[in-house]
Amino acid sequence: MFSNVQLHLAKVFLKIFLRDRQSIFFSLFFPIIFMTVFSFASGGGQDPINVGIVNNSTSPVATDFTQLLIDNPIFNVTVGEESRLREELVEGDQTMVLILPESFDEQSDGVELKLLVDAAQVQQLGLIMPVLEQTLISMEREFRNIEPMFTLAIEDVQARSQRYLDFLLPGLVAFTLMQLSIAGSGFNIVEYRRKGILKRLFVTPIQPRDFIASIVMARMTIILIQLSVLIAFAVLILDVSIVGNFASFYFIVILGTFIFLCLGFCLGSIAKTQQAVIAVGNLVIFPQIFLSGVFYPIESMPEWIQPIAFVLPLSFISTGMREIANNGASLLTIAPSLIGITVWLVLSFILATRLFVWKEVAN
Amino acid sequence: MPIIDVENLSKKYPLPDDKSKSFFAVDGISLKIEKGEIFGILGPNGAGKTTTLEMLEGLVDIDGGTAYIDGIDVNANPYAVKKIIGVQLQANEYFDSSSLDELLTLFGALYECDIDVSDLLNKVDLLEKANAKPSQLSGGQKQRFSIACALVNDPKVLFLDEPTTGLDPQAKRNLWDLVLELNKAGKTIVLTTHNMEESESLCQRIAIMDHGKIVAEGTPQNLILKHAPEPPVAPIHGNIEDVFLTLTGHALRD
Repeated sequence: MFSNVQLHLAKVFLKIFLRDRQSIFFSLFFPIIFMTVFSFASGGGQDPINVGIVNNSTSPVATDFTQLLIDNPIFNVTVGEESRLREELVEGDQTMVLILPESFDEQSDGVELKLLVDAAQVQQLGLIMPVLEQTLISMEREFRNIEPMFTLAIEDVQARSQRYLDFLLPGLVAFTLMQLSIAGSGFNIVEYRRKGILKRLFVTPIQPRDFIASIVMARMTIILIQLSVLIAFAVLILDVSIVGNFASFYFIVILGTFIFLCLGFCLGSIAKTQQAVIAVGNLVIFPQIFLSGVFYPIESMPEWIQPIAFVLPLSFISTGMREIANNGASLLTIAPSLIGITVWLVLSFILATRLFVWKEVAN
Repeated sequence: MPIIDVENLSKKYPLPDDKSKSFFAVDGISLKIEKGEIFGILGPNGAGKTTTLEMLEGLVDIDGGTAYIDGIDVNANPYAVKKIIGVQLQANEYFDSSSLDELLTLFGALYECDIDVSDLLNKVDLLEKANAKPSQLSGGQKQRFSIACALVNDPKVLFLDEPTTGLDPQAKRNLWDLVLELNKAGKTIVLTTHNMEESESLCQRIAIMDHGKIVAEGTPQNLILKHAPEPPVAPIHGNIEDVFLTLTGHALRD
C-alpha cells in the first residue's frame, strides 16, 4: 500500500515532528481542561433553586407549607419581607419569590399564590416551573389527605446511566482530531512555504503524492498518540465509559484523521499566507463545531439546517464514534456513517493531490 | 558536449503593477557550461539570475527555448534532472526543531539514497555541529550546511544562488575554499553573485546579465581585456567591477 520511500520519509518526518513537544503537549490542554471542568460541573447534581418566600398569612397551613418547601432539597428557601426579597430577585440572588396571601388557610379554595420572577432568567424558569408545580400539587395532596391516582415508576431501558460526559467524549475526540489534523497539515504547509522549506523540498525529486502520504502518516501517528492520551484520561480518570468495541472506535478515529489531514493540505494549498489559512481554516472548522453534533445532538438543531449538518464530515465521524462509544454499535450497524466517511475520504484525498501542485505551492 | 546547454531560454512574468501586461524576466539567453567548470552568473538585482537558475532546477516553468542538463531535457523530464543536480537556494531555512544530522537524513530519504551523514558534515566542516539546530548556526555555517544538503545525492551539477551574500570576509573566503575543493573533486558548479571579487577569483568563466539578457560572457581575464576602461596599453588593468559597471551602468537597482 505504501512505498518504501513513503515509509522512510514518514519515519524521518515523524522524528522531526516529535521534536516539537511543546505544541504536542499544549494542543491537548484545551480538550482535557474542558472535560475536567464538565465532569466537575455535572458531578454535583442539580444545584438547589433559590426561592424567596413572603408569608403574609398567619395560618398554621401557611407555616407548614413553608416548612415543607424548606425541607425540600430541590429548593433553597429564604423567608423574609417582600421588599427585601424583591431586591434580591432583581440582583439575581433569588430565582423566584413566592408570595403567600393572607387568605391562605385550610378553607382556601383556588387561592392565588403570587410568583415573582425575573424575565432575564426565563430559560431557567422553563425548567423550574414544572418542578415547582409538581411540588405544590404533592403538598396539596398531603394537606388534604388525597391519595394520588397514580405514581410514575421510571425504568431506564438503556439499563445503564449515561452522563453528559459520556455523550461528550466521542464528540470531543472528533473535534480534537479535526483541530489537530487541520493544524498539522494545513497550517504547517503555509509555515513551510513562508520559510522556503517547500521550495527546498521541491528541488529534490520527491513526488507530491509521496510527500503528502509521508506527512499524513507521520502526523497521523502523533495525532493517534495525542488522542489516546485524551481518551485514556477520560476513561481512567474521569470514568467515562466507552461501551462499544475499542478497535472500531479507533478505526473511525483513523479515517477521520485522514480526512482532515487531506482537507488541511487543501487549505494549505489554497491559502497563501498564515492569516489567510487561519481565516479559511475557521471557515471549515467553526460551522462543524456547531453543526456536527460535537457538543449536542444534531437532532436538537432547527429542522432546516439538519440536512446540511448531517453531511458535514465531522458529523459522520462524531455520529459514528458516538454510536460505538455510547450504544455499543458495531461497524456494520453504523454503515450510513461509514459510507459518508468513505465518500469524504476519497473526495478529500483527490482534492489534496489535485490542489497540492509543487510549482504553485512552493513559490 | 557541454553538461549544461541552454538555448534561447526565456521566462515571462506579469508586470507587478499591471497584471494584463507581462515582461521578460529572462529574455532568450543561451549558455554552454562545460563539465568541471565553475561558472558565474553576475548581474544587478532583478537581472534574471535567480529566475535562470530556477528554470534549470525545474522550480519554474520554462516559457520559451530549451535547456538540457547532462543531455536531459529539463522541461520534459524535470524529475530526472532533479536527481542529478544539487541546489542551494537563497533562502535556507529548515525545520527549526531538527538537528543537522536529522535534516541530512531527511534529504537522503528525499533522494532515496543512503548517505553518510558524518562524511557530509565533515566535508563542510560542521561535524561537531551534528546535533545543533540550524538556528544555532552562524551565517557562514548555515551556507555550508545548505551546501551539505545539496551534496546529499552526489550531484553532477551544483547550483549555488548567491552563496556568499551577507557573509563576513572570513566566512566568504572559507566558502570559496569549499567551492574550489568541490570543483577539484569533479563537480560542475554554477553560481550567481553580485560580488565581483568572487566571480574574479572563483569562476573560470562568467556571464554578465542585465534586463534578462546576457550582455557579456567569457573568462574574467578576457572580459577585463575587452571591456575594462583606460588605459588601453596595459594588458590587464582595472577589475571586474569596472567591467560590470561599464556594462550595466551606474544607476541604482532595488
